[in-house]
Amino acid sequence: MRTIYFEDVEEGDELPPIDMLLTKDFVRRYARTAGMDFPRFTDDEGARKEGLPGMIAPGVLSMGLLARLISEWNPAAQITRIGTTFRSPVLPDCNIHLLGFVTQKDDEQHTAECDIWMENDDGERWVIGTAAVALPTKAA
Amino acid sequence: MAPDFDRSILGQIFDETDFPPITKNDILKFAEALGETNPLYTDVEAAAQGPYGGLIAPPTFVTRLRPQKMTPEHMPRFGKMGFDGGRDLENFIPVRPGDVLKMVSTIHDIYEKTGRSGSMYFIVLRNEITNQNGEKVAVIDHRIVQR
Repeated sequence: MRTIYFEDVEEGDELPPIDMLLTKDFVRRYARTAGMDFPRFTDDEGARKEGLPGMIAPGVLSMGLLARLISEWNPAAQITRIGTTFRSPVLPDCNIHLLGFVTQKDDEQHTAECDIWMENDDGERWVIGTAAVALPTKAA
Repeated sequence: MAPDFDRSILGQIFDETDFPPITKNDILKFAEALGETNPLYTDVEAAAQGPYGGLIAPPTFVTRLRPQKMTPEHMPRFGKMGFDGGRDLENFIPVRPGDVLKMVSTIHDIYEKTGRSGSMYFIVLRNEITNQNGEKVAVIDHRIVQR
């Protein structure tokens, strides 16, 4: 398993971005797996009846993808806190870009803070957040 | 300006739900639905060699636990429209296969913010999740926005 140690992380380090086409099928499958099988997350017609422009991705899916951004950067990082703000509805099928960087390191606790966000092709940040991770250390 | 409501509702438990044991398959399917590649969440054998000695769930797995009552019966209303404003999640220990989880839900906070488009009210619902050993697993704060 790929491991990035606390000692090798620098403030300002960028997390390798994830660029993906968020398809309706992907959203539906997540909604069904997560027990959120509601029309607004699975079907355009049903979503329109609820006053939405079309089916949307659940906020917790965006949050889960941002957690994945961290987990792909460093599978050994333990996410202890993740907070996300849903600024705009996410309507599939759309390109999304998951981005983030390390904002702060704590030498005592061997933890790091990250800014993380999801944006569209125009750079509009649909979801913004922060995460705290505990990192393995070479000294241990 | 502080929103007008009965402050005694803060902290009152409106739901307690016990969940059936978490299975390996629950975790694998959830990880797959997110497109996770981390072997700790996706590969039983590789995870057994890892720091936890077995499969663990991705941190947001706990957001898929659905309490019997998602919102309190007497949910305060401050506006016509409501939407999902965001989540804050704290993970204390990872969820593993076989865990028997319990969720206790309260209205944690209510506050008002004034922006360009007028007043918005934030209702924060808190889900506290513990396991069969009484250990604190996670806390989810769910911010519902009304305007």
